[in-house]
Amino acid sequence: MARYVGQRVKRTEDPRLIKGLAHYVDDIRLPDTLHVAFVRSIYAHARINGVDAGEALKAPGVVAIFTGKDVSEKIGPVPCASALPELKVPDHRVLATDKVYFVGHPIAAVVAADAYAARDAAELLMIDYEELPAVVNAEEAAQGGAVIHEQFGSNVAYKLTAGEGDIVAALASADRRIKQRIINQRLAPVAMEPRGVLARYLPGEQELTVWSSTQIPHLLRTQLALMIGIPENKLRVITPEVGGGFGSKLNVYAEEALLGWISMQLGRPAKWIETRRENMQATIHGRGQVGEIEIGCKADGTVTGLRYNVVADLGAYHQLLTPAIPTLTGLMLSGAYKIPAIQINVTGVFTNKMATDAYRGAGRPEATYVVERAIDLVAAELGLDPVAVRRRNFPAPEEFPFKTATGLFYDSGNYEGALAKALENAGYERLREEQRAAREQGRIVGIGVSTYVEICALGPSQAMPAGGWESATVRIEPTGTVTVLTGASPHGQGQETSFAQLAADELGVDMGDVTVVHGDTAIVQYGIGTFGSRATAVGGTAVFVAIEKLKEKASKIAAHMLGTDAVNVVFAEGVFSIKETKKAAAAAGDGKAADADSDEVPEPVVPVGEGPAGALPEPETEGRKKVSIQEVALAAHLARELPPDTEPGLSATYFFEPKNFTFPFGTHIAVVEIDRETGEVKFQRYVAVDDCGRVINPMLVDGQVQGGIVQSIGQALYEEVVYDEQGQLITGTLMDYAVPRAKMIPWFELDRTETPTDVNPLGVKGVGEAGTIGATPAIVNAVVDALSPFGVRHIDMPIRPEAVWRIINSSDE
Amino acid sequence: MIPAQFDYAAPATLDEALSLLAERPDDAKILAGGHSLIPAMKLRLAQPALLIDIGRVKDLSYIREEGGQIRIGAMTTHYQLESSERLREICPLLPECAASIGDVQVRNKGTIGGSLAHADPAADWPAAIISLRAELVAVSSRGERVIAADDFFVDMLTTALRPDEVLREIRINAPGGRTGQAYMKVHHPASGFAVVGVAVSLTLGADGKCSAAGVGITGVATKAYRAAQVEGALVGSTPDEQTTASAASHAADGVDANGDIYASADYRRHLAVVYARRAIAEAVAKIK
Amino acid sequence: MKIEGTHELRAPRERVWQALVDPSVLQRCIPGCERLERTGEDSYAATLRTGVGAIKGVFQGSVRLEDMSVPTHYRIVVDGKGQPGFLKGAGDLDLEERDGGTVVRYAGDVQVGGTLASVGQRMIQGAAKMMAAQFFTALEAEAQVEQGDPPPRHGFFRTALRAISGLLRQIFKRH
Repeated sequence: MARYVGQRVKRTEDPRLIKGLAHYVDDIRLPDTLHVAFVRSIYAHARINGVDAGEALKAPGVVAIFTGKDVSEKIGPVPCASALPELKVPDHRVLATDKVYFVGHPIAAVVAADAYAARDAAELLMIDYEELPAVVNAEEAAQGGAVIHEQFGSNVAYKLTAGEGDIVAALASADRRIKQRIINQRLAPVAMEPRGVLARYLPGEQELTVWSSTQIPHLLRTQLALMIGIPENKLRVITPEVGGGFGSKLNVYAEEALLGWISMQLGRPAKWIETRRENMQATIHGRGQVGEIEIGCKADGTVTGLRYNVVADLGAYHQLLTPAIPTLTGLMLSGAYKIPAIQINVTGVFTNKMATDAYRGAGRPEATYVVERAIDLVAAELGLDPVAVRRRNFPAPEEFPFKTATGLFYDSGNYEGALAKALENAGYERLREEQRAAREQGRIVGIGVSTYVEICALGPSQAMPAGGWESATVRIEPTGTVTVLTGASPHGQGQETSFAQLAADELGVDMGDVTVVHGDTAIVQYGIGTFGSRATAVGGTAVFVAIEKLKEKASKIAAHMLGTDAVNVVFAEGVFSIKETKKAAAAAGDGKAADADSDEVPEPVVPVGEGPAGALPEPETEGRKKVSIQEVALAAHLARELPPDTEPGLSATYFFEPKNFTFPFGTHIAVVEIDRETGEVKFQRYVAVDDCGRVINPMLVDGQVQGGIVQSIGQALYEEVVYDEQGQLITGTLMDYAVPRAKMIPWFELDRTETPTDVNPLGVKGVGEAGTIGATPAIVNAVVDALSPFGVRHIDMPIRPEAVWRIINSSDE
Repeated sequence: MIPAQFDYAAPATLDEALSLLAERPDDAKILAGGHSLIPAMKLRLAQPALLIDIGRVKDLSYIREEGGQIRIGAMTTHYQLESSERLREICPLLPECAASIGDVQVRNKGTIGGSLAHADPAADWPAAIISLRAELVAVSSRGERVIAADDFFVDMLTTALRPDEVLREIRINAPGGRTGQAYMKVHHPASGFAVVGVAVSLTLGADGKCSAAGVGITGVATKAYRAAQVEGALVGSTPDEQTTASAASHAADGVDANGDIYASADYRRHLAVVYARRAIAEAVAKIK
Repeated sequence: MKIEGTHELRAPRERVWQALVDPSVLQRCIPGCERLERTGEDSYAATLRTGVGAIKGVFQGSVRLEDMSVPTHYRIVVDGKGQPGFLKGAGDLDLEERDGGTVVRYAGDVQVGGTLASVGQRMIQGAAKMMAAQFFTALEAEAQVEQGDPPPRHGFFRTALRAISGLLRQIFKRH
């Protein structure tokens, strides 16, 4: 059956992308389109005493200017879907009204005939700011000082304690207790395509279409309908080509609602394309956790308990999932280990910055970093090999499903298997010998290991704010081509390819005959979207089950066509045939001959250009033993001779609700060498073994892992969103915010183990975030290992050469 | 990009460009590749009223040998310099420096003249140009003059070019004898600019002693500079490991170094010393 | 950003002080200062047209001199806004006599916002130094002029200095 699944099939998306033929939001041109430019705060915290649009309104081409006063009563607040106990939720209007809370906070929307006129006019808007003290440091903000949202009396948005086991006793019973301050710095997702919105309201039809670069077309439709006050069935959201999201487009943004509303007000299409500077300022950031870990262990390395007290820098407002991200960190604090007692104490704090939210990994990279650093701290404290400490705390394969002290059930795992394979691929023992030899030569070499586990396939609806299922409709058209409608919303992951592989194999058709459709709420049934490494594990499963349903119906029609009962029909390689009885097989010769027979697949019906115009050919069924699925599809649509009580048409829809998350895992090993004179960190090797369950397209999986590792390298060594003491964003462009380039990336030696899950019938777990979760601690552990002769146990990210140089320069080896 | 409004002219001749510039010296800018000017315009930090694109002016893009000099047209792209076989033979520092700039797209469009005239404090070319003691030919409707590399860089983003002048050509005396050259830099991870970049051109006499040395350093201060003390310590000495280290230790002497969020002034000074030593050693190694 | 520096001027302290409190002198010395109008005691409204190379902008703002202690100290408070962003700063100037000349020490704290802050971080420190140097060079020339003589022409500097005033905005920034 597996003609495609498991193969390194090239992405069918790529030719149009490479040739520049794809259509992103900005490529969609509608006549009479108005262009919107936003005037954004240049202060982190200020009172707006007035907005004077007089000059701007007189500028050539300007059609309208909207300020917070104009819209705040007309458009509902930007939604936050996280429901935490006693969460403080500030009223987040689409434009600032009396105060601005972060650099980039939108104050006014200037609408003009073209983008140039809009931007020119935006510069003429006079805003009377009264600067207020900026709250920049999250830890200090939690303690007191200036308050951002005065109605709450403090900057603390919520406090949350989670975990199981008696943490106090667990730490007290430990032979050693280690504390370490640990930071997951703020990062910018930097999708290659910034955000963009085009909205078109048709006053006659009273229909609004919003094209947006989003990961969640249906959820966006629901939220926009509520915000703008248009019936949801009169609102259509289309996500054309989306140039990456990394979680930053798993959101509902002020601009999306505003553009829709503006188009409704003015009766003309309205477009806004985010600039990179706006993207850095006003698209969500990720991470932003400052914490302290305390880990207790026995002398043999057995971990007795882990506590993580963390201040989460939420930014000025809650975006869709802002407060929820640290809770995901809490869930994953057990890592790949049996830790009897775990406690997380989160303090979510408002700051005068852009909101943090889901960035690739979304809370799990933070957890994995904390746990994997903690394990290395235990090893350093006890003078043990970090690999040995990991092994000591692994659950064995037979302990699955494995319950953690964070309340999760890990579905399946073989952590030792992935570790052993990675150690072998890396030549770990030899690497350690080489490290000893290098140190004798005065070289600074380090080996870092991370044995991660992640939570994927988000997730059961019980655990999700807006449904954790995914939908699929699979349809075979009269001409035999297959249409797959998925509620997932791929934006670079390649599911147009992998879902086509899956459908083609399951239906026995050519991949070229399968089209995967997504991202249009008028075409695709309601869906949840693509994030949390869920599209294949949840969305792919929906496709798979929908196909099963479809084949059931097709089988009935085929049986009818073949003059037999469905129980007598078998389906293989796209053909329904009458099950051969033993007698019939004998008559036809041996089994091989029967197989050879089945090679004569009937030609698919291709009606185009054949017969009289408009007439479809009749499928020939008289006296036949086989019928192709395409013929069945045609018969189903012609509907002249269907079995009794059978609906015409051939399509099936399935909404798949997973019973659990999945828990992929793996081992990453980084080998680095540090330039003693400059502190520069250079990779020598990078070895990864990932286990994401069953693999549909190994090339796509490799691509996901590679991209994720690159973003981990970014967090470990280069990236940091920096606000200065006044809350000015000083990494405002890609001249200062360092996204890793190809030449900073080592060769990745990738490998896999395959431990299927029983959470879904495909056995797939998801891999979209593995790289960003597993790699960061491996890299930092390698650098710390390299610097251990200088007495280093920890170093903060991003590890800049100057910091390393200062350590080397100021220490005695 | 959505810049402020500007007029655009694409003259076919240099004379035409110069007369346009002479008319509006204060609000016109020359577009010579645009890899610094266009981003500044996009951010509206630069709002020239007139953009004079000299990309269509003939005969500004060349690498020639004339009168014992290498002559490079100002509109010669980084890639043309990087890929010149002849330069690799006679002045390998130029292709080496070119290859370290930005990425392929930048090198395909960006020009040596555009980079020099913009005088970014972290640009690569100024270090090479200073170390090679190049001459820069400036031309205006009033005539032509030659500016020594040492006099060309005045301050941050500021050159000796007058508002009505265009940089037309770079002249370099082809190094003779036993010369070794090297350009080594620390790439800024975001911009690709030089956190520190050191260009070295060093000639040995028959006695094995250094007879001439040029050391240019970029990225450290508000402008690229000649490390005169390093050169002084090298000339007349045998550039062995010890001499090299000792000479290089002066790489940031008397320099008011800049710091930013990526690298402090102290660290930049330190990198200047380390990279000066490495670049000298590499230049020497290339001789043998 | 904190900025500080020391400049040695070959002019007597009294003359340097006079120059430092004379708005017409300040206007000539502050790079790109097109207008410096008195709005009150030791308070002025200013227009700066300034830039570094191709980077240019126009700023409107105010300058206030405080804590005057003739002829050794004052505090200057600057506030300006323009298309590229805003700058606010306060700095102390201390004058000390040395060998017939004057040593001026300045130390201040400056905040830059808007586009300048978000894209200019790598250049701001250098730009600040450059502008300070330009200012004091011009000031020295002013202070060397005998009273009653025509003021020096900074046209020569001006070209270079035009570059610099962008720095005033940047001049005192983060460190």
